[in-house]
Formats: sequence, structure tokens, C-alpha cells
Amino acid sequence: MTAPAAAVEDAFRTEWGRVLGAVARHVGDLDLAEEATQEAFATALRTWARDGVPDRPGAWLTTAARRHAIDVLRRRRTEAEKTATAARLAAPLEDAVAAGGPDDPDLDLLRLLFTCCHPALPLEGRVALTLRSLTGMTTPQVARAFLVPEATMAQRLVRAKKRIRDTGIAFRVPPAQLRAERTSSVLMVLYVLFTEGYDAWAEPADDVAGCADRRALADDAVRLARLAARLLDDEPEARGLLALVLLQHARRDARAGADGVTRTLEDQDRARWRRDEIAEGLRVLDDALAAGRPGPYQVQAAIAALHAHAPDVAGTDWAEVLALYDVLLAMTPSPVVALNRAVAVAQVHGPDAGLAAVDALAADPALAGYHLLPAVRAELCTRAGRPAEAADALRAALALVDREGDRRLLLRRLAALTPGREGGGADQTAAASGSVTSG
Amino acid sequence: MRYLLLVVEPDEPDRGPTPDIEEWVRRHDADGSRVLGERLRPAADVRRVRVAGGETVVTDGPFTESKDVIGGFDVVEAPDLDAALAIAAEHPGSWGGGTVEVHPFWPTGSTPPA
Repeated sequence: MTAPAAAVEDAFRTEWGRVLGAVARHVGDLDLAEEATQEAFATALRTWARDGVPDRPGAWLTTAARRHAIDVLRRRRTEAEKTATAARLAAPLEDAVAAGGPDDPDLDLLRLLFTCCHPALPLEGRVALTLRSLTGMTTPQVARAFLVPEATMAQRLVRAKKRIRDTGIAFRVPPAQLRAERTSSVLMVLYVLFTEGYDAWAEPADDVAGCADRRALADDAVRLARLAARLLDDEPEARGLLALVLLQHARRDARAGADGVTRTLEDQDRARWRRDEIAEGLRVLDDALAAGRPGPYQVQAAIAALHAHAPDVAGTDWAEVLALYDVLLAMTPSPVVALNRAVAVAQVHGPDAGLAAVDALAADPALAGYHLLPAVRAELCTRAGRPAEAADALRAALALVDREGDRRLLLRRLAALTPGREGGGADQTAAASGSVTSG
Repeated sequence: MRYLLLVVEPDEPDRGPTPDIEEWVRRHDADGSRVLGERLRPAADVRRVRVAGGETVVTDGPFTESKDVIGGFDVVEAPDLDAALAIAAEHPGSWGGGTVEVHPFWPTGSTPPA
């Protein structure tokens, strides 16, 4: 009994996306394809125990799912018999399902990926749908990972699928002229997914609800980045993304201390970085750069690689890091990139130069509410020997921070600056006037 | 699928180059994607009708609650959303500060998929 159940579970992980993609290609309807795929797995659970596990579980599941989709379409047609039009609608679909076509599981996965990441869908819908469709995670699992109620997530997924159907988003790999734009949409969705999980590694797992589920998202994102790099092997940026997430994910065990305080790069125990994953990330990056078509993910991965090579912060090639941030900023002029660049400026040219770069960003509305703006300012003020300003900036950051690990880090820094004074909160209101937002 | 392209006129047109509307119409009539389309008279000629509590209320422009003036519309038949968006991007109405809204039709019996 256990072997077939384990086989189904195994197939769920490895075959879900392929089966879903194959059926969606035929019926052109993600919702129906999902229903049919789910049914196929349920059937497998029943029949594999009785008849044994088939030689090619994926092919078996695809056939079973197609059959189920045909049944549903037939039923719909019978129900709609009275209206000749509805029957006409169902007939060609049914023929298409029955006829099948050459199977290319990778191509089915790629179509699925592009469809789930179509920019006409809201970003949160793209992220959720990609996770649901390509990893086989169930709706409750996806809901847990994003810390939203199951009903909310179910609705988000239903809406995204409905929009695909109602606005006529085609289930396909985009044509050449849209390829670059759509590829960046896919990579962005995967990176958002990764960040969602990776950020949880900087949180105190014991004190933050759902932290373990969120951390697992980073693993899923790395797997999907691997898939994207393989499927999009003519896109160096796909490999750039894979290199970036590998190099960052390798640092996960060092991102929070046992005390649940976020560890910045400076304070991380680099012995806890996973060297095998770093080695893989570096190989993937070299491979990507060899194509000679750099992009933002390759540049970010190159920055991560410089950190990976360095023994500590002092031994980091900051001049090179800064040069890469200049390149990145030219490619993607974003204030968050500019803030990271300011940190590198401070390392190369001193804290005052860094502060000038930070203060140049203070008025940017995109950073209003971002706690890292005053947090970086505080760090640089401390280094510049201006503790009072540093304390003000820390209080401003504390008013904005929403991550527990970061909050503890800010509190610890504030306590170090103002021994014996903090905790009363007498002058915390003055700090709230900062112009920063949340990340 | 069928889409309605609503041409929303810019508040202040910029003077950039715009594609030629006649050429756009000719091309999409020829390739079969354009079903119909018209230019509309200015906002001053627009009347609004509302029936509330059984009473018909007709109002004139100008319409303070909406700055968006519909300058025209086209109905196009496109294989998918990307194709419809591409047709909209070639429409002069989406250039020079204007906007073309792409509205997918609610499916009815009259438009079976290809």
C-alpha cells in the first residue's frame, strides 16, 4: 500500500506541472485542466494501489487527466444541448483533446509558466498561480505560505484563472517580438516568490507564525528558477536569476542569529554559508556571462558572487561592488538599487559620501515608508561619529519596520547607541516624521 | 475573441509623431481584424440618460465627473489578448498622450472561437 501512495506523492511533486500543462494546451482552459489533473491524481491513488504503479506515471496521469477533461466537456455539452452554440463551442475542444498532438512536456511547462506570468494578471495573482500550477502545491498550502486565509487565496487563484479565460490570454509561448518582455515578467515573478521565502530566513522562526512555510517558498523558487533556466536556455538572464537565487539562498542559515535577530552581511557567520550551493551559483553565473548579454539579474548575481568570494566585509572588493551597482542602476533606475549603491559608496569613499547618497534619496516617494532608508542612514551616521542623528534615524526606522528580525536588530543598535535610555520611548515621536516606507 | 477598443482622448495632446489612422484602418480592414469603428462627435454633443425611480433623466455635457472623453471606438477580432494589445498599440489613439482601452467582449453565441 505504501509504495503506490508514495509513488503518487512523488508524481505529484514531479509531474503536476507537466500534466496540467499538457491538458491546458488541449482544452485552453486552466481551470478545467486543473480540475482534470486533480481528478487524475485522485484516480491514481485509487487504482495504483490495486493495479500497481505504471511504468510511466507521467504519461498515465496525462492520459487520465485528458479523459476526465473530455468527460467534463461532454457533460457540459449535454447540459447545453438546447443551445446549439454552446454545443459548437464544446465540439472542437473535445476533438482537440481526443486528437492530442505531439507531447513535449517541457514545452507544456514553458507555456504554463508564460501563461501564469502574463503581465495582464495582477502580480499577486501571477505569483500565486505560478506556485499552484507549477509545483502542485495545494491552495491551502499556497495560502499558508503567503499568510492569507485559504478563502482569500482560493479567490485570488480563481480570479487569475478567470481573467486568463475572459480576456483571451493565450496558452502559449509568446511570439518572438514579445519574448523579451514576457521573459522578464516570468523572472520577476520567480524572484518575488524567492524573496518572499528568503526574507523569512531573516526572521525568528520560533516567534513568527508561518515562518517555516514561508521559508520553504525559497526552495520552491530555486527549483522553479532551475526549471526556467533549463527551459529558457537561450536567455542568459534566466541563468542570471538562477545564479542570483543560488548565491543568496546559500546564505540562509546565517541570516538570523539564535536570538532571532537579523544578521546583516557584516555580522553573518560565513562558515554557515553553503559552499556547494555557492560553487553551483558561480558556475551558473559564469555560464550566463559567457553569452555576452548582461542584464539586471546577472549583475545582481555578480554582486552576490563578490560577497561570496570575500572572507568578510573588510576583505570585500567594494570598488568592484560599487562599479556593478553603477551598471545595475543604469539598467534599472530604481531607488532601492540606489540605496544599496549608497552602502557601497560608503565602503569605498567613506560614511559621509554614503550619507550624501542616502540623503539624495530621502525625498523619493517610492522609498517613503521603507524602513531600510533610515536604517542605512543610522548605520552610516554611527560610522561617521554622529550618534544622536543615528539614534533619530533608528527610531524612524523602528516606526516603519514590519519584520520582526529587523525590528530586533534596530532595537539592539539603538540600545547600543543610547545605553540605559531606551525603552521609555519619551522622544520617539520626533522620529516618526521620517519619510520612509516598508519593503 | 472580440475586443472593443475605446479611444480616450488626451487632456493635452503632446506633439509627438502619431501613426496615420487611415493607414491603420486600411491595414486592419484588409487583415480582417477590424469589425467596425467610428469617430465620435465631441463631448458637447453627448447626452447622458439615466433612469432612476422610474424617471428618465437626460443630462448634457460637459461632464465634470469624468475627464475622459471617448473620441472613437473600434471593434476588433483578435486571436488572443496579446494580438488585441498589439493592434491597440498601433492605433494612433494610443499615441500622443492618448489612451486606447481594450475591453474583451462578454462571450455570446455570436462569436464562436476559431
